Parts: sequence; structure tokens; C-alpha cells
Amino acid sequence: MNRIIASGLAAAVGCTLAAGAAAQETIEIDYFFWSPDRMELEQRLIDAYMAANPGVTINVQAQPPSDYWPRMSALAAAGDLPDVFYMSSGFIEEWQGNGLLANLQPYVDQLDLSDYYTGTFGPARFPDSDTGDMYAFPVNWVGPVLFYNQDAFDAAGLDYPSDDWTWDEFLAAAQALTVDENGDGRAEQYGFWAYGRYAQIEPWVYRNGGRLLNPAGTRLDPTPEAVEALRFVTDLTREHGVAPTPAEMEGIRQQDVFPMGLAAMWVDGSWNVANTRTVAGDDFNWGIALVPQGPSATPDTMRAYTWIDMLAMSPDTEHPEQVWDFIQFMTSGERDATDFAGGMVPSNRVTAESDAWLERDQQPGNKEVILQLGAMPGTTSFTQGWSEWRGYGPADSGGMNGELDEVFNGRKTLDEAMAAFVDFGNSVLTRYYP
Amino acid sequence: MRRAPITPYLFLAPMVVGLLVFRVIPIGVSFFASFTHWNVIAPPQWAGLANYREMLGSADFWRVLGNTSLFAAMYVPGVMIIGLALAVLVNRKLRGITFFRGLFFMPYITSLVAVALAWRWVFSTRFGLLNNALIEVFGITNPPAWLSDPIWALPSVAIVYIWQSAGFVMLLFLAGLQSIDRTLHDAARLDGATAWQSFRYVTLPLLSPVVFFVMIISLITSSQTFEVTYALTRGGPNGASTTLAYSVFQNAFVFYRMGYASALAYTLFALVGTLTLLNFTLRRRWVHYG
Repeated sequence: MNRIIASGLAAAVGCTLAAGAAAQETIEIDYFFWSPDRMELEQRLIDAYMAANPGVTINVQAQPPSDYWPRMSALAAAGDLPDVFYMSSGFIEEWQGNGLLANLQPYVDQLDLSDYYTGTFGPARFPDSDTGDMYAFPVNWVGPVLFYNQDAFDAAGLDYPSDDWTWDEFLAAAQALTVDENGDGRAEQYGFWAYGRYAQIEPWVYRNGGRLLNPAGTRLDPTPEAVEALRFVTDLTREHGVAPTPAEMEGIRQQDVFPMGLAAMWVDGSWNVANTRTVAGDDFNWGIALVPQGPSATPDTMRAYTWIDMLAMSPDTEHPEQVWDFIQFMTSGERDATDFAGGMVPSNRVTAESDAWLERDQQPGNKEVILQLGAMPGTTSFTQGWSEWRGYGPADSGGMNGELDEVFNGRKTLDEAMAAFVDFGNSVLTRYYP
Repeated sequence: MRRAPITPYLFLAPMVVGLLVFRVIPIGVSFFASFTHWNVIAPPQWAGLANYREMLGSADFWRVLGNTSLFAAMYVPGVMIIGLALAVLVNRKLRGITFFRGLFFMPYITSLVAVALAWRWVFSTRFGLLNNALIEVFGITNPPAWLSDPIWALPSVAIVYIWQSAGFVMLLFLAGLQSIDRTLHDAARLDGATAWQSFRYVTLPLLSPVVFFVMIISLITSSQTFEVTYALTRGGPNGASTTLAYSVFQNAFVFYRMGYASALAYTLFALVGTLTLLNFTLRRRWVHYG
């Protein structure tokens, strides 16, 4: 009996010693991201990385965004952040401000940035979005484009949108594309579709050289160019009747209005390429174009609107060199273009500007339009408290989104709505920027 | 001296620990949090009564409170009347009556998210079942955009909640109805009471303890609206259907204002608690315990 116990003990001690020896050579890196549907792809990349780096183990976890941020916040509060994790433009300022992101600039300095879409890098830099240090490294970006139904354009005898389309030409096309066959006052096909959503409104503002925030980015103070853009977009519904009210489209997912053929044009983020492919299928041919440039824009003031998804490093990681190596691997030109299907653009130009990324066998046939946005100087309106004053996600019935929908639905004038959302927005912003 | 047996406590322990860890302690922490500014990623900062002050001075809060009251005013009587009517309807000895009891109860055990998605289609402005019926069958030319209309959005949400929980209320009333001695109804009929008089003067007073219980739990349920609101209107249009519980969710998990959300939650708790106490006080005026 004693002998059995003794040999068992010896085996246990032996195992512990062996594990201890192995641990000295192993680097463990915890990695969190927010798209469980991409787990297979991420796992393939991680396996490749681990095969190339013996002794490094990457422990990966994924949660959908609705669970990701509460989980990450709790881990941050507990001082237990993963070594490397995904970061979004909407949250980075608050995280950086709370010292939860490692400064990557010393590493970035050793990198040749000419391979990257640096025009989209602004939200990753602090304190200044042009010259500051980078606190996260972009993996991919998306930007808003004008989706258009080529079959509808053909039927109306119109030329497809060009890069130098003016707002007047856009409006004329939208009028020609609005078709009410039975004359009941509700078009079977509208020329355009928009509501108060950030990805559908801000593109017009920035393409007209407008800004929603003051130069310091601490208060809502829409410029005349911004107001002009807001008026143009809301008037498409109110004055010209070329777009449905949000109330009329209630009950249909907003991203399905265009692919269902209910509207012939639509502006939203390029990530909608995927859903449009799925819902529209072979029902009609469609393409994408730049959002038309506004009459008040100058080359100096016009901006592209892009969002970046980034990889960030915990300031507490024990293996910063290895984590940076992994970040470089995830953002290198070696990545396969098929990892970034649809409207998602890899931040590395080598991967983006490849034939594989253009997906010529699928709609839209002109994905290179999206790449143009990466070459332009960009801007965003992200601040702390953005989801509250802008009205985003489960709160999109409030804030600026809620007020603009009142305009689209004809219950408020633009001036009334603007007074309300500027007032509310500044009460939110005052909490963060006293 | 015999030692008290430890076994029962061991069996209770998992439940008690679970209750402590997932309920009691968070409730306590959230009370503390309501006096702090807390964005979760940084340690909470003591704020005294600032959250409560901000709340009382916020026009949005009063509007949300108004919506919550309006919702309760629609939901509580609605679910009670319909639940009672269903209970009276299925309190008979008919063939296949258990099938109908099961049918009416079904919405209560169906996933709320699935329920809300189906109703979203019913209420859809252009392609919805309801509006197409109104146009095709009743010839109404311009039916409302139910979920986008500031007047109709909250009632639409209330209708779905009533539809969803009427079956549960029916079950409670049914149990109450079946415990009433049939001889009392026979006696009433002998005395010449009509069916309505028999219901009004015999059934209802005897049912009053159940009515009281149903009222209390309906009131509490009406303060916890989340899933259907989230799936149908997200509190819109422009806040017209935002109730306190939904506002708590927005502040806690969209804006990451845990302190303010906790203050809202404790205000909701205080309101529901006060109303429940008030009901218990008023109970002796109308509740008859046989």
C-alpha cells in the first residue's frame, strides 16, 4: 500500500517538475476578439503563427460585441486584461485615457508605414489624431459608400454615378428612380433610403467639408457646411419625396431596404456589402460609388469617413515584444485577401490592392471604390459618450439619431431637431469634457 | 446534548451561495454604486447624491417615468381583465378544454425574442399583417406606423406584453375559480341571481385574494419591460417608448454609466416597493379571505 502511494507521489512530483521546465520555455499570450463567426479563420491564423513560433501559445477567446465590451470592461477593472485584444474607434479614447492601452509608437517607429492606409489611422493616435503616438494598430477598416441598383438605373435610362457626381445630379437621379406605379402615394421603388444613423448621415457632412464637433472635439457645434448636408439629406424625404420615411420602412431591417429593391440608392458602411450580397442574391445587379461631393466642399475641408478595427496591447503584458510580433503578423501584407471578404479593407495595402481582394466574381464589380477612401484624409466624430449623444445601437432611438428621425418622419423641422440634439449632446459632452 | 444536524445546511448551501453571489451581493454593490461615478473600466469615484440630483433635474428621466407609469396603467388592467376573461372562458367542462388552456398559456413559455420578432412583422407599417388587414378588410386608407408613432409605440409594446402574459394570469385566476365552492353559485341561482350577478357578487369577492396577488405581480412585471421593447422599438421613436427598465439597460450597458444606472434602478425599486406597500394597506378594504 505504502509503495503504491510513494510511487504515485513520485509520479506527481515528476509531472510537476516537467511542467515547470516546459513553462520556462513557453510564452502564453491571451488574445480576445469580437466576431465568434470568424473563429475558424482566426484559429487558422493562430495555428500558423504558433507553428512558426515554437514555444508560443496563443489562447484565443471570442465574444459577440454585445458581450465583448461588458466582459472586457470587467477584465480591465480587475486588472486582468488579455495580452492582445480588439479595440474599436468608438471605445479607444476612453480606454487610452484610463491607461489601459500600451503605447505602440516605439514599435511603430521601426515599421515602414508606406504599406498602410495611414489616412485611416487618426482614431488610434493620441493626444493628437495627426501627430500623436499610436496606442493600437489597425487591422482593417471600412468606409461609407453609395450603393446603387444598376438594373434600376438601366430601366430609368440613367448613367451610373460617377466620382464627380454633384448633389444636384444625385437628386435628379433619385427623382427619376422613384417609381409609384399604382399612384397610391407610396412608391414601389424609392430613389434613396436614409434615416438618422451615423453611417448614413455623417458621410454627407464630411463630403461637404462640414464638421459636427468644435475643433477641440469637445462640444457639438455643427458648421454651416454640416447643416447644409443635414438639410439636403432630410429634404430628400421631406421636400422631394424621393426617399421613404423611417416610419414607412418600420418592420424591415434597415440594411434590407436596398437589397430588397425598395430603394435604388443607399449610403452606409462598406461592411454592408456582405448582407447586400446575401439578401439581394441574383435579383438585380448593383455597384458602389463614392458618396457625392457637396457644393461647399474644398479639397482642404473635404474628408473621408472611415472606421478602423484595431489590435491593442495590454500595458501589463509580460511579453510585449512577442505581442507586437503577433500584431505585426496579423496586419502584415502576407495575410490572405480572402480573410477580408466583402467591404472590409485590410489596413495593409499589399493585401488590399490585390486581385483576390477585388472579388471580381462577385457583386459589386467595382470594390476598388472603397480603396479610394483609404487614400483620402479621414475624420470621425467619435468622443467619449458618443453612443449616448449620437444615439447608437440599443440607444439609437435617442440622441442625434432619434431627433433626425423626427425630421425624416415630418414631426419636427431640422432647426427644432438640431437645437434639441445639440443641447442634449452638449449636456452629455460636458460630463466628459468639463 | 444532541448536535444540530449539518446535512440540511449542506444541501441548502449551493442555493444560498448562488443567491448571495448572483443576487444579494450585486444588489448591495449596486446600492453603493448609485452614489458613485463608475464607467466599469476605472475604479468608481464617490459622487454623493450627484446621480440622484442629475436624475431629478433631467427632463429625460421624468419623461421615462411618465412612460413607465403609462405602460403600467395599460398593462396591469389589460392583463388582468383579459386573463380573467380567459379564465372564465376555460373554466368549463368541455371536451378538449385542456387544449385551449394550453393554447392560451403557450405565449408565456415562448421565447420573448421570438415573440417580439413575430410581432414586429405584425406591426410593420407597409408589409405588416395588421395594416394589410386594416387596409384590405376594413378599408382604412392610412393606418398608423405603429412602432414609429409616438402615440402608438408604447401601447403596441403593451399589447405584446399583455398577449404574452395573459395566459399566465389566466392560470392563476383559473386556480382561484376552481377553488370556489359550486354550491354557492347554486344557492345564488336559487335566489334568482343572473349569471352576471352571480359573477359580480359571488365569484369576484371570493376571487379577491387572487386578484390582489395578480395585481401585485403584474405591477412588478410592468416595471421590468426589456426584451420586447428592445426587439420592437428600442425605446423609440425618439424615446417615446423608453421605460425605466430600458433606460437602466441603456445607461449600464450602452453608455457604461453604472452609477447613474444604479440610481435609476434603485428609484424604480423604491417606486414599485411603495406601490406594493400601498396596495397591502388598501387590501383590507376590498380583499375578502373566505
